[in-house]
Amino acid sequence: MKAIEVSGVSAGYGGEPVIKEIDLAVDSQQLLAILGRSGSGKSTLVKTITGFIRPLCGKIFLDGVQVAGPEVFVPPELRNIGLVPQEGGLFPHLSVAQNVEFGIRKDAGKDLRVQELLELVDLRELARARPQELSGGQQQRVSLARALARRPSVILLDEPFNALDATLRDHVRADIAEILSHTSTTAILVTHDQDEALSTAHSIALMDLGRILAFGSPQSLYQSPNSIPAAKLLGPINEIPGTVASEHIADTEFGEMTFDTHELTEVGTRGTVLTRPESIDFGNQGTSALVESIRFHGHQAMVTVITQSGLRLKVRDEQSVTSHIGDTVQLVFNDVNTFIPASQASGRL
Amino acid sequence: MEVLSRGRTWETAGTSLGLAFTVIIASLAISYPTALILTRVHVPFPRSFFTLAVLPLAIPSYVAAYAWLAQFPAMSGFWAAALILTLVSFPYTFLPIIVSLRTSDHSLEQVARSLGRTPITAFLATSFRQSTPAAAAGSLLIGLYVLSDFGVVALFRVDTFTRVIYSTYRASFDKTSAAVLAGILVLLAIILISLERKARGRTLRYRPDRGVANSLSRLTSTRGIRSASVAWLTGLATTSLLIPTASLFILMSEGTRALDWGELTTAVINTVVVSFVGAVIAVGLALPIAALTSRFRNRKSAAIESLSYSGLALPGVVIGLSLVFLSINVFPAIYQSFFLLAFAYAVLFLPKSLGASRSAFESTPPVLEQVARSLGKKPMSAWVFTTGRLSLTGVAAGGLLVMLTSMKELPATLMLRPTGFETLATELWNRTELAAYGAAVPYALALIAVAAIPAFLLSKAILVTKSEEKRPTEISISA
Repeated sequence: MKAIEVSGVSAGYGGEPVIKEIDLAVDSQQLLAILGRSGSGKSTLVKTITGFIRPLCGKIFLDGVQVAGPEVFVPPELRNIGLVPQEGGLFPHLSVAQNVEFGIRKDAGKDLRVQELLELVDLRELARARPQELSGGQQQRVSLARALARRPSVILLDEPFNALDATLRDHVRADIAEILSHTSTTAILVTHDQDEALSTAHSIALMDLGRILAFGSPQSLYQSPNSIPAAKLLGPINEIPGTVASEHIADTEFGEMTFDTHELTEVGTRGTVLTRPESIDFGNQGTSALVESIRFHGHQAMVTVITQSGLRLKVRDEQSVTSHIGDTVQLVFNDVNTFIPASQASGRL
Repeated sequence: MEVLSRGRTWETAGTSLGLAFTVIIASLAISYPTALILTRVHVPFPRSFFTLAVLPLAIPSYVAAYAWLAQFPAMSGFWAAALILTLVSFPYTFLPIIVSLRTSDHSLEQVARSLGRTPITAFLATSFRQSTPAAAAGSLLIGLYVLSDFGVVALFRVDTFTRVIYSTYRASFDKTSAAVLAGILVLLAIILISLERKARGRTLRYRPDRGVANSLSRLTSTRGIRSASVAWLTGLATTSLLIPTASLFILMSEGTRALDWGELTTAVINTVVVSFVGAVIAVGLALPIAALTSRFRNRKSAAIESLSYSGLALPGVVIGLSLVFLSINVFPAIYQSFFLLAFAYAVLFLPKSLGASRSAFESTPPVLEQVARSLGKKPMSAWVFTTGRLSLTGVAAGGLLVMLTSMKELPATLMLRPTGFETLATELWNRTELAAYGAAVPYALALIAVAAIPAFLLSKAILVTKSEEKRPTEISISA
């Protein structure tokens, strides 16, 4: 049984639906990341799952129980979904402890439960503080404790790390992922940050223009994307025109390139070989190209080169800077590539 | 219909509009420097000066007029009326302007400076532009207030519409002529409202949505600027507050007649109770409309909203007349009842309460309500625990404003009060009509003292929300 199952859901705010025919399933105790640019429909999907929007069609199940469908609609307060919104959404007029206990029924165990939750997020000393007195990371942890208080079947994290600065973000992200796995909570993380999705989630759904472009594990989506837009959502990608020569080989301007494939492609099919910047190395012999620009990142550098045919390629230089602008370099292509036939390039499956 | 063809009718309309515009321009000329001083210059006791600039709201226009007349008996005519009306109504533009100047995003002004503007042109291009909708809304309130004012124009013998309507009604109980004149008055009010809508136009109100506001450090002002600022603030407090109250105290010390304490106490109690009930009804009517329009924008909610704002276009005299009509013809049981009077206040001042509640609701993030629901609260209780709770100060400020204006309202009270029911305003009016000025003074002072309480609380409410909450609840006293 899936913890969350969304099938054929379209929804919007009246007029044209914002999300269209969404299918999604999350296993119990897993963390799913929904990755997409702003305006891709992520937030609408979250609001539909939590019950703030009624879908136009399709069904939603939580732990096997239908909560939305043609004849069923369970309001948000009865769905038991924990919500961690952007910037925490803490009630500014309540203390940390009062925020956490907001959703718990009054009974003997309540104070103990609040203690337990504050300990879980490591904020016991701040129980009486006001949200305004907390740092951004602390606010997010309180928000998580509050969402966990009712032992929800699933937690929705809606771009929770946006307001945090870069160094703090990694830290808070790791904390939260650990708390979620420690409490065996199923979660959906909505984000536009590819690193966040790749490093935190067990599986990723890529969203664009209100549809799910691709769904799978971080590794498979990154290394063998099923479309060019899906590939671009997860990081920089090089597009090299080519023609299929045999089962795993394509002919390109750089000679034969090996690729992985989702389905068998007929010999002679035209399309694009997709290769990540780290699948290209600088070598002593190979295709020569001219270094156009170098973007230094400290632990590595992103080098843009122009080949003789005028194609621009991005190459990740793990040794940081070994070349200079204007140098001629030799490129060596690795085996980790994907072939996308021209007919599927748009990503509409 | 011969009323319409009378040349005098149109002349009166011209006088009314002219007076309204003069008072608006003078009020803006007072409000902008005052608000700028209090936001940008280091002056001693800024909070006290802020409260002093709000307190003139407590002085009924006809009391101010009377107090000035007592010391300067030669005052009369259009310009005297304009002066007094400005001194009692400038807080209506001052308040929204200072709130706007405080919450506007100062980084825009800094950007403008970095793009080569001088301090003054940068201010005009950014913060001033952002404040124009607030200033326009305040100007509208002043314009409508002047159109509906009755006491000042009567005392200074300026023939405006309200005076003509009331005298027509009083002289002959000629309801039809009065109704036609009232119709023209409503038309003038609608002209003002549409002018305000135009002025507000497409100007976007920028709401800083992040916690730490980019506050502009106060100008490193020279001693000269600081002294001039203090002189300006002191001068303003003197003319708007000290002169009228001092004049009343002088009159009282000269008075010889014995004061009937029982009558005064009854009037105080009546005033407080009926205006309080009116404020409660107004807030009760405003809450559902504001809750609806702040979250759902569609044709239906917009229609409900404009319907409730129509109270703005209806001066007290008109509401009074129409409620007299309605109660006599439809609900004779409530004609001249306590409830009808309180209800009239509520209808008359509903827009004030509505504006305040709506902007308070709008500045609370809707996500809090969603979190509350995800934590198991039903829609109503989720609203009460979050948006409702966080908007309390703003809603209360709206109620205070209704209470304050109800206390001072004269024409509607005169027409609708139950027989024998006297408020401070009517007692005052009765005595001035009989030229018993000395006897009127204690009532005038009592009215100022009683109205000063909600005015004072209002200024505190605005200060609190501006300084202590992370996400400032916006309090608006305008539409």
